[in-house]
Amino acid sequence: MLSQLKQLEDVKDQFQKCVRCGLCRSVCPIFKEDRRETTAPRGKVFLTQMLSSGEIEPGSKVSDKLSMCLLCESCSSECPSGIEVHKLVILARSMVSEKCPSLTNQLIFKKIWTKPQLLNRCVGLLRAGQSFGLLNIGYKMGFLPKSSGLLGQLPGRPARYALPETFPAITKQRARVGYFLGCATNYMFPEVAYSTVKVLSYLGCEVVIPKNTNCCGLPQMANGELATGQQLAAHNLEIFSQAEVEALICDCASCSATLSHSRDGDLPVYDAVSYIMQQLQPDFENRRKINKAITYHDPCHLAKAQKITTQPRQLLQMLPGIEYREMPGAGDCCGGAGTFVIKNFDMSMRILDRKIANIKDTGAELVATCCPTCTMQLSYGLSRHGLNVEVAHPLELLAESLGL
Amino acid sequence: MLLNQPLKQKLLELLSPEQVLTDELDLKFYSYDSSFHAKLNRFFPEAVVFPRSTQEVSAVMRLAYEHNISVTPRGAGTGETCGCVAVQGGIIMDLSPWDTIEEVDVANMQVFVRPGVVHANLNTHLEKYGLFFPPDPGSSRMCTVGGMVSNNSSGLRAVKYGTTEQYILGLEVVLPNGDVIITGGQNSRAIKNVSGMNLTKLFVGAEGTLGVITKIRLRVWPKPKGRGLAMAVFDNLEEAPQAVLDVYRGGILPSGIEILDDSAIKAINMYKPEINLPNAEAILLFEVDGNPAGVEWEGQQIKEIVSRRAIKVEWATEPERIKSLWQGRSVVATAAARIRPDGSRIFAGEDISVPLNKVTECLRRIKKMAKEYGVAVVNYGHIGDGNVHTAPVINLDNQAEVEQVKKLTDAIHRLAIELGGATTGEHGVGAVRACYATAEHGEALKVMHRIKHTLDPTGIMNPGKLLPPEGDDYSA
Repeated sequence: MLSQLKQLEDVKDQFQKCVRCGLCRSVCPIFKEDRRETTAPRGKVFLTQMLSSGEIEPGSKVSDKLSMCLLCESCSSECPSGIEVHKLVILARSMVSEKCPSLTNQLIFKKIWTKPQLLNRCVGLLRAGQSFGLLNIGYKMGFLPKSSGLLGQLPGRPARYALPETFPAITKQRARVGYFLGCATNYMFPEVAYSTVKVLSYLGCEVVIPKNTNCCGLPQMANGELATGQQLAAHNLEIFSQAEVEALICDCASCSATLSHSRDGDLPVYDAVSYIMQQLQPDFENRRKINKAITYHDPCHLAKAQKITTQPRQLLQMLPGIEYREMPGAGDCCGGAGTFVIKNFDMSMRILDRKIANIKDTGAELVATCCPTCTMQLSYGLSRHGLNVEVAHPLELLAESLGL
Repeated sequence: MLLNQPLKQKLLELLSPEQVLTDELDLKFYSYDSSFHAKLNRFFPEAVVFPRSTQEVSAVMRLAYEHNISVTPRGAGTGETCGCVAVQGGIIMDLSPWDTIEEVDVANMQVFVRPGVVHANLNTHLEKYGLFFPPDPGSSRMCTVGGMVSNNSSGLRAVKYGTTEQYILGLEVVLPNGDVIITGGQNSRAIKNVSGMNLTKLFVGAEGTLGVITKIRLRVWPKPKGRGLAMAVFDNLEEAPQAVLDVYRGGILPSGIEILDDSAIKAINMYKPEINLPNAEAILLFEVDGNPAGVEWEGQQIKEIVSRRAIKVEWATEPERIKSLWQGRSVVATAAARIRPDGSRIFAGEDISVPLNKVTECLRRIKKMAKEYGVAVVNYGHIGDGNVHTAPVINLDNQAEVEQVKKLTDAIHRLAIELGGATTGEHGVGAVRACYATAEHGEALKVMHRIKHTLDPTGIMNPGKLLPPEGDDYSA
């Protein structure tokens, strides 16, 4: 439970349980590229153990080592001893951040990203910068990170402005659910949010979209501001608890993973695709044909953190006209991992290149995935490799097929 | 000896900056393997290098030889004896990134690999040609072929397929002075070769104490198309080894025969109740592979033979059922730690090998000793070749338990020797079992020392491993 993480001292038993068998070396995307023990997950366990015991002091070197983790949970989901390496990394980053605060981190993750209005203004400035070509100039002059290109063209208006607080069921009502609008979906992919809400509504859900929600908390947790992230997650869960909804639905894998692992109440948190396929079971008869060859990329926070792999594939395979093609290494991380790509662009691109090669192998015209960060990363990679392949959320395709 | 600054510079003259680590924090990551010994102690190298060619390995060895610096070859660091840990400092040579499969010579049924190739990746690659490299270590997904050669590893299927040494046709080795030799015939692609002394076998299992293996010529076999598994349940431990002998006498050689004793059965059921193994004194798993018709016939034979002693035998050929029956064995190493909430499984005294007719006595006596020392243990292993794995489970924070487990593992090693066995069947000696060499090898140990001295006169090659210091007599 992310909500219960406090101190490295609390997880001391995990250090002892690690037998350093090295199985994690076989699944870590970063280790696959770097091949040094210094990036192996068991090395991270050892690093956090040394931090916890005071054998090493927090500092920039330790911080650099800890930054070399995607939090993709590949190692945690395979560890024979059940060690949750990603949680140890989150705790260690938090400890380092506490002892050696980074002003940039605090400004971004504590001051701006916790205040929706401030974040809105910053994104607005970015959008304006893009319109006037300033970002391009800034990038060329070296003021902006290499990862700036991942932003693509920011949409004109965030989804938040277009969505009402309550969206009624447009068929016979079967449920009242909450919809959590994540930051990346809101600012980068408003169409995904509209598709999710429209599909839920069409399948008989009254959808509650509270205005006062905040970021899910994952960016803060991942960047050393654990307490802030936990507060945000708790705040969001509280809002939906008060909204008297039966379930909380997220169309972003990272948001659903964070909120479902942070909850300590009764409100169930669902990934939108799995909720729709399991609870609402749409009828695919006589729907519009999509007529595309499609492959699917598993977001780590869906496949590894929540063990959801079959429902997105079921949905895609049931869409009329679709030719579904499974890609090799569909469950391999794409290297985006939220802010990882900003801090470790070159490593991120090496991981991404493997993924793009696998997509190319399928010859698919479209890659479906359930995570906006993956969508940004994959779109960037496909364009980098000169491939004319679209990226979409499965619910965008479902909405299209349902004629919504 | 300590590396001085000019020497670090010399390493950087031979290799690119990405191939050399000297930062204090980086070096800490190379202080461990899977062993209990490395849990209790910290052994730091002064430098870690990542050579990617025979020339680079040779250059580093020449430098080390000239300046009398220890060099420890390392693969994936999955060993359990500190074999790849720099117990006397110096340079660690991490060969795991050097993972090129150079050539699959299908016509000659052999493959040429560099030392860092991961076992499972090699077999995935060979599958395209309908071939496989039979030794099957539990660490297949992470261990390197170089490490397997250096430890003469085996695993679950050694009963039928033997150990790594049976598949090594030749090696390229960089000697401690930097010279490069090729064993098994310098241009040979022959499978049979008795020309000259068998130097290949000298380096297999030498744990990096005689030189650095930089290329491996491996024999590979056609991959069997059929596979089946029999699970037999016994209410009397004595009957299990007898049942194994009955199967052998019946003219059947399974690819693997595994045992779980009652401690292992309990641990597995506590860890994953859904596996739901029957409560019994022992469970045996017989794996058979080959052509499908032969597999079926052998499976039925095993069922008939073993049923005379077992209370229940199940035979399966469906992949899903096989997977389900194997599940208990595959999780036992992890399950061991679950027998007590504050316990951690440690790797010490974990790999003795005894004659087949002593397995029962061995298991009974290990249990008795564990009780005397007050240490919880779980026993399992490759009963088909007498290789017993004991997993002690202790609270690492309790110093009294740490001391007791040291005494227990020493007693387990001595028991193996007493029963006419060996202190290690597949994991190796490393820095933790050399003290038993006199008792195990007697006069032969002197010859080993002479060979070591001839090839490594200055003692820089993985010192502190495999052999006790010359003149030390631990036999008492």
